[in-house]
Amino acid sequence: MTTVSRRNLLQLMGATALSAGVLGGSALQVRAEAGELVIGGSLPLTGVFAFAGIAIERGIQDYIKIVNDAGGIAGRQVRLAYEDTGYKPDTSVAVFNKLTSQNDLNLYYGDSTAFAKTIAPELQRGGKILMGGASFASELNDPEAYPNLFMAGPDYSEMISILMEYIAAEKPGAKVVLVNSDSEFGRDPIESSRKKAADLGLEIAAEIITPPTAVDVSTEVLKLRRARPDYVIFHGYILAPLPEFMSQAKQMGLDTKFMGTFWSMDSSIWADVGETADGFMGVMPYRYYYDDEPAPMLDTIRQMRPEYQATGYTQGMITAMVLLESARRVIEAGQEMTAPALKAAMNTITDFDTGGLIGVPISIPGNSIPVGRVYQYSAAEQKMLPVSDWIKVGG
Amino acid sequence: MSDDLLFFTEVTLAGLGSGALLALTALSFVLIYKATRVINLAVGETLMLGGYLFLAFAAGMGLPVWAALPLAIAGGGVLGAIVERGLIRPMLGKSPISVFMVTVGLGSVLVGLVEMLWGTDPRTLPGFIANTPVFIGEAYVSRKIVVAFIAAALVIGVFLALFRFWRGGVALRATASDQAAAYSCGINVPGVFSIAWIIGCATAAGTGVLLGAIGGISPSMGIFGLSALVVVIVGGLDSILGALIGGLGLGLIQAWTGSYLGGEYQSVVTFGLLIVTLVIRPYGLFGTHEIERL
Repeated sequence: MTTVSRRNLLQLMGATALSAGVLGGSALQVRAEAGELVIGGSLPLTGVFAFAGIAIERGIQDYIKIVNDAGGIAGRQVRLAYEDTGYKPDTSVAVFNKLTSQNDLNLYYGDSTAFAKTIAPELQRGGKILMGGASFASELNDPEAYPNLFMAGPDYSEMISILMEYIAAEKPGAKVVLVNSDSEFGRDPIESSRKKAADLGLEIAAEIITPPTAVDVSTEVLKLRRARPDYVIFHGYILAPLPEFMSQAKQMGLDTKFMGTFWSMDSSIWADVGETADGFMGVMPYRYYYDDEPAPMLDTIRQMRPEYQATGYTQGMITAMVLLESARRVIEAGQEMTAPALKAAMNTITDFDTGGLIGVPISIPGNSIPVGRVYQYSAAEQKMLPVSDWIKVGG
Repeated sequence: MSDDLLFFTEVTLAGLGSGALLALTALSFVLIYKATRVINLAVGETLMLGGYLFLAFAAGMGLPVWAALPLAIAGGGVLGAIVERGLIRPMLGKSPISVFMVTVGLGSVLVGLVEMLWGTDPRTLPGFIANTPVFIGEAYVSRKIVVAFIAAALVIGVFLALFRFWRGGVALRATASDQAAAYSCGINVPGVFSIAWIIGCATAAGTGVLLGAIGGISPSMGIFGLSALVVVIVGGLDSILGALIGGLGLGLIQAWTGSYLGGEYQSVVTFGLLIVTLVIRPYGLFGTHEIERL
């Protein structure tokens, strides 16, 4: 006969009580969260991309609030589960692993191209998650290679295409100089830009690559003076060294027009540049917070947040909108929430109204939303003002 | 002057200007290393803090530039004093790697602090250098670069003179040569350590203001310190003259490389130069032979 000591008995009872508590607790947790839709997020709330990450998080949270206040997605409440990554791909992966082990995730926001490329095979293996994010890398706009990803706007090549369409319409045969940072981000659209320029009959007068640590750009501006372009398209920067480029070019008497892509286009970063910023142009896939054209969603945002919201905010909101619209379509079709089903549902989005955040109804035939508009900064008003209609590119 | 020669002259002048900024940043490394044998990897972040302090005084508090600039420099000095007294002095006698890692951590803390206080958006400093260009003969030079060059030349000239003629400078040189002998001569070695950190960080803060005036400021601008680290390794970690010549040399090489080969070759050439120097003269072009590499 086996004898059980008093100590063993206490240990056994303790273990039983503990496991009952843990299992009971888990069961309760699962029941409490069973109806929830959770968006996971590897968000850059600190580090070099924090200026965008903080706005993105606000945009996602606000859209979730709007959706939840309206009854959720097919009756299911939505929650954002996220952690800061510092804009480091290894931390983003660690956050992904942690969040996916703690939550039943089907929707995700990733913070960088590097993270998207790193996690893509894992997303394909798992077959559960549709992911949007901060990257507009052209390489990711390939539904064959990256079936689980999408971006809430045009990719970088499409952004340059939009700018070049505008240039070709304004000044046929114009001379263009491409200025790109020496990084994966900066080099992304160079090849496609050359091709697009050739297609549109624009002349690429020079290509300038600046090192990532460049502060003084005097030598690059000298090259610019030699080329005497009508337009300069910057890509791969946020703010520096654009103002110095523009200031020195003006000092040299160049009447070149300067343009940028999405991450250089937030009006708040240009506000304290002053007169030098006047006339800076660029592509923006969304309306600005202060746009006065009819846009019900902008009205809602302005009611929720009376102060200016950056373009990262709108990017986060549109990403959440696409993720949740895809989920809604899957749920309403009675399908299982898998990545292929979510992606297929996303690709059925045609002529979708974003509440005016994007000025035209959108369709997502692949991994991007290939539409945008050219805006120009007015130093007097401290605002980006539209100078073109909405331009659709690609397929 | 032919077009090509004019272009070469302009590129060379621009290279000397940006080289002066590198030299000034390198000076901060050298001052601290010379006295304390600590490689302060937080120089880049101190420089960034200097830019933000100027922003706070000039834009936030509305002070005139003549008041905001010295206050920003003094702020850098205060940071140097606090770091030396609070973090570095307790580490005296510890492994150089530990002290080195403290400065790495300090850099991250400064970035975090700036992000908390001023946010993460890139900012532009209130303009205090005119935008009108300067022409040397026919050659164009950006006025900001001219100002940076003159400031760097003055500061480095003053430091060279101080080390030669000022008692404190001589004490610093004596401490750098032999700490025990300096003690026995009655030199206040801990005081020299403090002075070196205060002046080194104040120099970095001042450079941050100049750099910010040219390229704007952001929490990530400390990366500029990496290029200056190349300067001090090439020039010699304990040589002010090495910082000056290394800075101007690297500025020129980067400008010529960027103009004639393309910006994508700048990092290759810069770090290639670093490797070649380490192989040929591990103590740098003007450094002292016994420097211990980490």
